[in-house]
Amino acid sequence: MIQVATRIFHALLLLLGSLGVAHAATPSCSRVFTVALHDHGLLYSADTDTGIDKDVVNELVRRSGCKFTVTMMPRARIWQLIESGALDFSLSGISDVDRSKFAAFAWYFSNKYYLLVRKDSEVHTLADFSGNNKLQLGVIRSFRYSESANQFVDRLQAADRLSQASGLAPLYQTLMLNRIQGMIIEPFDYPSLEEKKIREHTAIIEFSDPAVPHGLIMSKKALSLDEQAKWRALVQGMHSDGTLRHIFEKYFQPALAAAMVGY
Amino acid sequence: MVARTPLLPLLILGVSLGITWLAWNHEHQVSRVGLRAQFDFSLRETASRIEQRMAAYEQILRGVQGLLATTGMFERSVLSDYVDTIQLGANYSGIQAVGVLELVPARRKEGHIVAMRRLGFVDYEILPVGPREVYAPVIQREPYIGRNRAPLGFDPWSDPVRHLAMEKARDSGMAALSGKVKLVTDTEVGAPPGLVMYLPLFARGLPHDNVDQRRANLAGWVYIAFRMSDFMASLYGTLSPGLALAIFDDVDVSDTALLYRSAEGSTRQQRPALMTANEYLVAAGHTWTLSTSTLPEFETRFGRNAAPVIAVAGTGLSLSVSLLAWLMVTGRVRAQRLAAEMTEELLHLSQHDSLTGLPNRALFSDRLNHELVRAKRHGENFALIFLDLDNFKLINDNFGHAAGDLVLQQIAWRLQDSIRASDTVGRIGGDEFVVLMPELLAPNDALGLAEKIRQAVRQPITVDGRDLVMSCSLGVAVYPDDGPDEIALTKSADDAMYRAKEGGRDSVRAGTSGENNTLHDRMLMNPGTTACAGSTRVNPSNPLPR
Repeated sequence: MIQVATRIFHALLLLLGSLGVAHAATPSCSRVFTVALHDHGLLYSADTDTGIDKDVVNELVRRSGCKFTVTMMPRARIWQLIESGALDFSLSGISDVDRSKFAAFAWYFSNKYYLLVRKDSEVHTLADFSGNNKLQLGVIRSFRYSESANQFVDRLQAADRLSQASGLAPLYQTLMLNRIQGMIIEPFDYPSLEEKKIREHTAIIEFSDPAVPHGLIMSKKALSLDEQAKWRALVQGMHSDGTLRHIFEKYFQPALAAAMVGY
Repeated sequence: MVARTPLLPLLILGVSLGITWLAWNHEHQVSRVGLRAQFDFSLRETASRIEQRMAAYEQILRGVQGLLATTGMFERSVLSDYVDTIQLGANYSGIQAVGVLELVPARRKEGHIVAMRRLGFVDYEILPVGPREVYAPVIQREPYIGRNRAPLGFDPWSDPVRHLAMEKARDSGMAALSGKVKLVTDTEVGAPPGLVMYLPLFARGLPHDNVDQRRANLAGWVYIAFRMSDFMASLYGTLSPGLALAIFDDVDVSDTALLYRSAEGSTRQQRPALMTANEYLVAAGHTWTLSTSTLPEFETRFGRNAAPVIAVAGTGLSLSVSLLAWLMVTGRVRAQRLAAEMTEELLHLSQHDSLTGLPNRALFSDRLNHELVRAKRHGENFALIFLDLDNFKLINDNFGHAAGDLVLQQIAWRLQDSIRASDTVGRIGGDEFVVLMPELLAPNDALGLAEKIRQAVRQPITVDGRDLVMSCSLGVAVYPDDGPDEIALTKSADDAMYRAKEGGRDSVRAGTSGENNTLHDRMLMNPGTTACAGSTRVNPSNPLPR
């Protein structure tokens, strides 16, 4: 399943790449662009001002020659501003029906989702978790996931079993305090799992969905279709020449990095 | 049918109550979802306003950072003028102070103190006193008025809570918020919780693109100190009505970590909140827990109150429908019972005389035939007594038919009083009665009963306040001596009765088989026959009142 998804993703990238080549002009730097990052594991750490997203932004700046104002803000705020057109770009976004109405994407990696649960909650399957009304799931407000993970989260939300947070750190804290018993994680959260305390008390359950494409988020209100295509081509260029792979290899084992960026 | 009768209304009650429950439950769920959505929206709105306010504070701090990055951190008048210019008035009422911290390694401590004292702060010291590797004393605090004129020199690097935020700001190059602290300028006991937001200042012209560079080239910090209560008071808009809000430092929801509690949340609630939620807000790298709960006002304002109405109306309707069904079902049963009773009554009417209630000719004939069969089978005797009132026509003629009917009813009651329980008395004509006397042991028993009847009839009857004395003529026939069947017996009794009539009335005559004894028996049982055999004493045309 993962191989199939990877191939599809690769084909998608090639297709987008060919489209990008057709409009291979450099984006117009007619103004200072705005880009927002959110604090999320290896994607971006506010503590060190480093991460995959920051590296991708730097690469976009370098290749486009445009000037960017980089801001860090909660993910929910980012989506609001992308929708309103006040924000041009953000990173590592996934699409859904609602978001596709106001945001365009330039895919550059994909990953799967996992449920991180406390061992003492005696949860071995997703059904174990959703079947126990005492268990609370911690989520980052406005986050969406793979299809079955979305359904899982939506069911729990309807049952008032979600604890919302605007960042990842309080979810780990409340998980350790047993105020929530589970949270959804991505490969970017692996370093946190290396912490002995978290590793000792938690187990991981995989969602059966294929890897979900992530990409550069572009505000449809702020960027014309033509400009979107130029930025998409720029991202494809980063993919084609191996730049993205190198960025991901800074943070992941080479095999995982290759799987994520579609090689 | 009887067993089914209560089931149908119960079934209807169960189904209608079930439908009511479904409707109530649906409405309850919809209402709860709506209320939850409103609650979630309110919580998100509150969190969003806090985030935006925090972003505004950060913007002010970035302004200060930019200003000092341009002019240098020691141009004191620049910061003073800047703060005056932006007017930290009501719009930023939460901000107590905007200040500058200088990073002072231990080797520069003495020189730093000397330099500060030369600026006019003659008592300047780095507080708390004591040797440390690095100091970060407050060298400027604006606006320099009121409590902000407290001595400079406080070293927040020595305070673990502030230290953590300062480190974060240094390493990230971005704004970092401290945990709950007591502001240095708040010297009074019980001062409200305070917070400090830091931004790093880097040495001019030196790079600060990564953590190592930022640590190496750090020159100090700019900060904003504010009270949590003022911060919340300065938020745009108002909190959603009917919500109690409490904000805690980090994820600790104990009283020691309490930063703010809304006035609504301070009063003890009469009952548990319908909805509660904790949202973890990460602002300027620091986590707050927004603990929100609903108050009764929230449910009143945003809740839909249709569920109780549905429950009451549905239950009432269910009971009404069930009652109606019960009435319909039992009404049918009652109608059937009534029909049966009416049928029985019709049958009774068809077999009984309407005036006296005695069996009529048809019923009497039926019973006579039954007795004939029975007597034949068992070889027993029974008697048939015919009775005809003497001169009854005169009663009708002289006193009217109503009086005649009364006389007939009285006679009927007396006949019933005179006979045995096993005997049957019937009315077969206007003033003709007949008595069936089954299981007759001796023919004289029948004559005795006839005589008893005759005497009972002779008792005065009161009509319209006058006493009338009636008499009757009786003929007795005994089976099988006076006839083997109904016709023969009837004829025999009828003949005997006419003989009694012809013999002067007010007498008893036996059938042909007992004709020889009849006179003797009659004489024996009615010695005064001669006196009353005629109609002289009972002259209905001129009845003698008693």
